[in-house]
Amino acid sequence: MMSDAPLLSVEDLTVTFGRRGQEPFRAVDGVSFQVRPGQTVGLVGESGCGKSVTSLAIMGLLPQRGNTVSGRVDFEGTNLLELSTDDMRDRRGRDIAMVFQDPLSSLNPVVPVGVQVTEVLERHRGMTRKAAMPVAADLLRRVGIPDPDRRIKDYPHQMSGGMRQRALIAIALACAPRLLIADEPTTALDVTIQAQILALLKELVEDTGTALIMITHDLGVVAGLCDEVNVLYGGRIVERGARHPLFRDPRHPYTNGLLGSIPRLDAVGERLTPIPGSVADNLPWDHACAFAPRCSQPIERCTQVTPVLEESFGRALRCHNPVEVPR
Amino acid sequence: MTTPPVDDPDVLVDVRGVKVHFPIKAGVIFDRVIGHVYAVDGVDLQIRRGETYGLVGESGCGKSTLGRAILNLEPPTEGHVVFDGTDIASLKGEELRRKRQDIQMVFQDPLSSLDPRQSVESLLVEGMKAHGLAKDAKEARPRLRELLTAVGLPVQALSKYPHEFSGGQRQRIGIARALSVNPKLIVADEPVSALDVSVQAQVINLLEDLQEQYGLTYLVVAHDLAVVRHISDRIGVMYLGAIAEEAAAVDLYARPLHPYTRALLSAVPIPDPDVEDSREQILLTGDLPSPSNPPTGCRFHTRCPWRQDTRCDDERPQLRVVAIDGVPEGHRVACHWAEQIDSGELRPHEVTPVAVGSDELPPAAVEPELMGPASVTEAL
Repeated sequence: MMSDAPLLSVEDLTVTFGRRGQEPFRAVDGVSFQVRPGQTVGLVGESGCGKSVTSLAIMGLLPQRGNTVSGRVDFEGTNLLELSTDDMRDRRGRDIAMVFQDPLSSLNPVVPVGVQVTEVLERHRGMTRKAAMPVAADLLRRVGIPDPDRRIKDYPHQMSGGMRQRALIAIALACAPRLLIADEPTTALDVTIQAQILALLKELVEDTGTALIMITHDLGVVAGLCDEVNVLYGGRIVERGARHPLFRDPRHPYTNGLLGSIPRLDAVGERLTPIPGSVADNLPWDHACAFAPRCSQPIERCTQVTPVLEESFGRALRCHNPVEVPR
Repeated sequence: MTTPPVDDPDVLVDVRGVKVHFPIKAGVIFDRVIGHVYAVDGVDLQIRRGETYGLVGESGCGKSTLGRAILNLEPPTEGHVVFDGTDIASLKGEELRRKRQDIQMVFQDPLSSLDPRQSVESLLVEGMKAHGLAKDAKEARPRLRELLTAVGLPVQALSKYPHEFSGGQRQRIGIARALSVNPKLIVADEPVSALDVSVQAQVINLLEDLQEQYGLTYLVVAHDLAVVRHISDRIGVMYLGAIAEEAAAVDLYARPLHPYTRALLSAVPIPDPDVEDSREQILLTGDLPSPSNPPTGCRFHTRCPWRQDTRCDDERPQLRVVAIDGVPEGHRVACHWAEQIDSGELRPHEVTPVAVGSDELPPAAVEPELMGPASVTEAL
């Protein structure tokens, strides 16, 4: 299923938010990564690391005013950042679709779920609503909503959180997009429902060959799902690798620290090793490594020279003093 | 169904047959009660001095309500909470207020549980003044310093306000406030779920250190099984207002006996691709039934892959000690078929999900509708 030509190639993506009376804030800072057809790529990091802003920039969903987006987002050879609003609208939902974290606030509360599914088909496939209804029911069935012919008339508030997330996935998949971006799709859900949704996403990705960008803070979710994982910190990618080597042998102190600070269900009573401090302690990337104040093994260079992302043997790493022996 | 009173001096909190039912009202002028939300529906549990008891379950299972019932913040509809030899429900007014010194709470969202217009000093002194531990801030100074050092904040923090701190630091303030009145029991409701992963570990370690330092007893209420298992000595798994299984943290993971516990454990993602690739998942179908209209019999039977034709539908299982070799007496489970499931005599089967419908009313009138089939137990 996977070929070598990238489906999506993000190059040097930088998003800057203007702030009145203050220095502009660089939320995403020179992020580059690629997604091949059928591949599942994870963007992992804590709140404020720029993972969601990256996805919104790819989808062209950031507010126009006050923000500057630079770099390239090449999707099948077209730079999405240069498309007009109308051209982008044509692609959004058809070629690239997105599933958001909170299914209740991303569905329209006064429109039946079925109609919200057909909207996509009407817009991109030119179908009439009448013709689209059976297709919508079929989509709902495919994402595991029982009795879809009846459920199609339900309003979002009549569905449970898990059902709503399934409905959102159905909307996203309506036009068989080649890329699906899922932004924390299971964070608002209970763990048994999360397992259902993750299994569904996995199955759909395998069946349809859709590429998936999975944005999450949960390393556990990534461990079971993603082919390749990008770890973000302070708006930059600090480490990238295939999931097995990355988890077995994390080289960046941040990745290593994250893995050491999560209580694991299958580990017995060992003390956690937290990452000290908080994101507020970050240094600016300009002349230093942002993570240096919280790092377990900083050297002098870390506070003087900005580390660059270096690739070798399928692993990209932005660190002056990588971890030799993980945890 | 209630267990006899426990006279063990080692038991700090003895919860007996506690039920908390919230009335559902309708009507414009006259409120009519048209049903109840059975948030907590018959729970027995004992918390021993110095231990950490973890209550885990999904949203709507009643774990937070039970935690609040122990503080008498939600007076139980039925049953008793005996704290340190006194029945909390029998206390009123001034007596209850004084008793609250011994039971303190740490909340989920540190920002909304701290008054934004009070400085840290004033936040911490308030409780001490109310319980007569200090007359004013000046007198409390040495104690405040000690508290801040204990939770790992600089002394300068005293003159700052909640918005000047990060989430993790705010949670430290919340913990310091709970500690300020020398409580015996701290009820922590989702103490780390609002925090970033790297900061969660700091707060978990802090809670462990403070327990050692001050000999505290904790009741930790959380949805994250990995966190609960890490921090707790004993765990109670709740499902729809009742405890489905109770065991030492180690035993619960090593040998889950209740089908729900099994499903819950298998659903928690583990940050290790090798483990994730090889483990078996029990995927439950459907959603949690509404607590205003809980299923008859075993609450879990509508989603249980091991449901049997007899007993499960009409006989409510009680928490009991099972006769299985190697399972200690403290490991109790509310399942009719725990022995047969554990031995492998009963195999999981497909479940036809029952419609849960919306969170809407009225509960009693809605017939459970059957829905299309779906695959259930799959080894992934």
